[in-house]
Amino acid sequence: MLDLVQNTLDGIAAGSAYALLAIGFTLIFGVMRRLNIAFGPSIMVGIFLGAWVHVQWSAGLIEAALATFIGALLASIYIERLSFAAIRGDAALASMASSFALWMQLEQGVSLAFPGRTTAFPTLPPLPDIQIAGLFLGGDDLLVLLSAGLVLLVLHRLIYHSHFGLEMRALADSAEAAAVSRININRVAFLTFCLAALVGAVAGLLIAATDGQITPKFGLWATMKGLIAMMIGGLGSLRGALLGGLVLGIVEAQAQWYLGAAAREIVVYGLLFLCLIVLPGGIAGVRDTGAERKL
Amino acid sequence: MDPFLTSVLSNIGLFSFLALSAWLLLIGGEISFGQQAYFAIGAYASGIASAVWGWPFAVALALGTALGAGIGALVAWPAARLSGVHYAIATLAFAELTRASLNVFRYQRDIDGYLTGPDGANGFRDIRWVYEAGIAPGTYLAIIATLLLLVIVLIWLAARLNVMAQLRMVGEDPILAGMQGIRVLRWKIGAAAAAGGVAGLGGALFAHMATYVEPAQFSVMTGVHAVAYGLIGGLGTAIGPLLGVLIDVGLLESLRSLAAYRMIVFGGLVAIILILRPRGILDETLVTKVRSWARR
Amino acid sequence: MLEIRDIKTSYGKIAALKGVSLDIHDGGLTCLLGPNGAGKTTLIWTIAGILKAQGGSMKIEGENILGLKPHQIVSKGIVTVPENRLVFPDMSVRDNLIAGAFSRRKEKGGVEGDLEDVLTRFPRLRERSEQLAGTLSGGEQQMLAVGRALMAKPKILLMDEPSTGLAPIIVEEIFEIIGGLRDEGRTIFLVEQNAHMALKYANRFYLLEQGKVTFSGEPGAVDHDEVIQRAYLGARKAS
Repeated sequence: MLDLVQNTLDGIAAGSAYALLAIGFTLIFGVMRRLNIAFGPSIMVGIFLGAWVHVQWSAGLIEAALATFIGALLASIYIERLSFAAIRGDAALASMASSFALWMQLEQGVSLAFPGRTTAFPTLPPLPDIQIAGLFLGGDDLLVLLSAGLVLLVLHRLIYHSHFGLEMRALADSAEAAAVSRININRVAFLTFCLAALVGAVAGLLIAATDGQITPKFGLWATMKGLIAMMIGGLGSLRGALLGGLVLGIVEAQAQWYLGAAAREIVVYGLLFLCLIVLPGGIAGVRDTGAERKL
Repeated sequence: MDPFLTSVLSNIGLFSFLALSAWLLLIGGEISFGQQAYFAIGAYASGIASAVWGWPFAVALALGTALGAGIGALVAWPAARLSGVHYAIATLAFAELTRASLNVFRYQRDIDGYLTGPDGANGFRDIRWVYEAGIAPGTYLAIIATLLLLVIVLIWLAARLNVMAQLRMVGEDPILAGMQGIRVLRWKIGAAAAAGGVAGLGGALFAHMATYVEPAQFSVMTGVHAVAYGLIGGLGTAIGPLLGVLIDVGLLESLRSLAAYRMIVFGGLVAIILILRPRGILDETLVTKVRSWARR
Repeated sequence: MLEIRDIKTSYGKIAALKGVSLDIHDGGLTCLLGPNGAGKTTLIWTIAGILKAQGGSMKIEGENILGLKPHQIVSKGIVTVPENRLVFPDMSVRDNLIAGAFSRRKEKGGVEGDLEDVLTRFPRLRERSEQLAGTLSGGEQQMLAVGRALMAKPKILLMDEPSTGLAPIIVEEIFEIIGGLRDEGRTIFLVEQNAHMALKYANRFYLLEQGKVTFSGEPGAVDHDEVIQRAYLGARKAS
């Protein structure tokens, strides 16, 4: 029983980072109705830029964080311009394939620039571990949880209580209606891409700083975690993305503890497949995702 | 023939099966990130059949094809009811589920003093039927080419019999297709079965050429490549995906001077092609123009 | 020919059709008028088998066809020209027309001859027969959709708002085509918001408001202005 609770606690800490990745995906899908599968790799570019300033000038976490944000932003803008803005809205398949093509570029570019298997990343400031009633919460995990919570609060405020948030929600609801309401679709889509990049960069930063090292495989990893969490939660729903991330984290932690690492993968993908078939609207029960429009 | 050229051509042939598999689904309006699963199923099933059970090569190939088609249909039966993004992720989930399951799949028997068969993440060694039968790489290339040609002829025949036209209708607008009396769900499941079979056959051929397969070879990256081939080559004709493979494997992989920058070059090329032609180089507009020109 | 009784269709909890009854008589143009959101398209999609009705009955020549799948409805001779999604844009005009005949592929021959008939009826389609359908103008796409429906040899032709998004002069042209089909003795069920044009051609009409048939009659016997007003705007008062 104590194991179960402890695993859940660990799962929530990991899941909060997954939730941020899923939210990044959802933001982009919401306004574009297209998947940006290069979302993970764009974050990967960010953390490598962070690692570079760390290795080059032995910069600390703050400078590395700034570099991470800048790198993720630049990579996202590159993807937005080439794979989304330049391709007509009714050719969503082409956008997805194109974002994959840029993913290959980003991954190989980073691999060439950082030939080592892993690259060092500055670690999080030490926070005391917490132990209550036999439960253990590491200082790193606590910091991840707090940061993710803070990002969620800011994001909530931005989306539901700002003019830009209103424009974004209008666009997510209906591109046609938003256009006739004099919303500059291109501008909102571009800014949403940037917002998603920043949210993703926070997740990438937290994960990289917890591990203290990074690899180019981070791109694939982040895309997969974000996609899975988004789909389990319910495509197109921000609340779903949050829930999906937490559920993914908890399920992974439990499966890892009780069944082992190999079985964990089987459990996660089995869950995703079942969830899609039985519960296509996800945990949040999304009714109309707009996804049936030609992908 | 030059061994390097033989190996490049063989690879082009094998990837063509995978690309055609993803292309068939694209025509039916679905994007699948998971055709590598059927490639893996074909590889493992045929490998077990020939190396562990001692079945003849041809029967092993047939088993890989049939299993790919059967499982493809079985997965599509619930998945084809889903919308585009959901279908894409469901295929990806199934493929990763397959890969993760192969990581723990052990089925080894003592064959001539060696433990033979899949050994989880360590892979599956000694699929030696082709090697032991003394088939030269050039001959094996001919086998690959013949079977690939057979698949293309079958697709061409299907186009003659209006089968492809109906699949295209389902892909372009399933509701309108239903209004023309087309049984949309059946077509989607049928397309998934055909695509699974083509990938299964490709996988079986791959396993017997490589003699060694491991789960990591059937990753998401492989599947997304397969989709990209069809999209850059073009959705207008079955030659499209082959053109995509030719550009990537044929041109870029073979030019060794480019090897280190292959992904960067290929990625940039794909991005530019998709901006200029969202439905690929050989898209419907071009194919229709060529056809009406040929008819004149 | 087609007898619809007390059809109820809803989207989740929202009832779109609250018991619709109407008759489509053999030979002639039956028109369903009504404002936006009255449930006109819902009725077409229900008849076509794409939406499921929760209750009621639907009979063609006495045979119950409620709950059949879209392809079964087509095989009963009920063919739909839907609104907005008229053609398969990445297929040629010729292939679009042949697509209409897939439902009767079991009978041998005849398709080539019918294709010739349709191309003769619409010379503009013949000129563009090798073009992709997506490159046609709105009016031409509407023609192509009608031609494709004719390829299916329908007993009843269902048309959903053929005038949507077309210039007035093109609308006149489309209605002349519909009038011509009526004069050949075909059975047509036309759903329209453009009551002014529809009343000129209809043999009989129904008015659908908020999911219910509120009025029916023959165009010669009623005040057109009253009907037109209600078809555009809905009822002013409960009447």
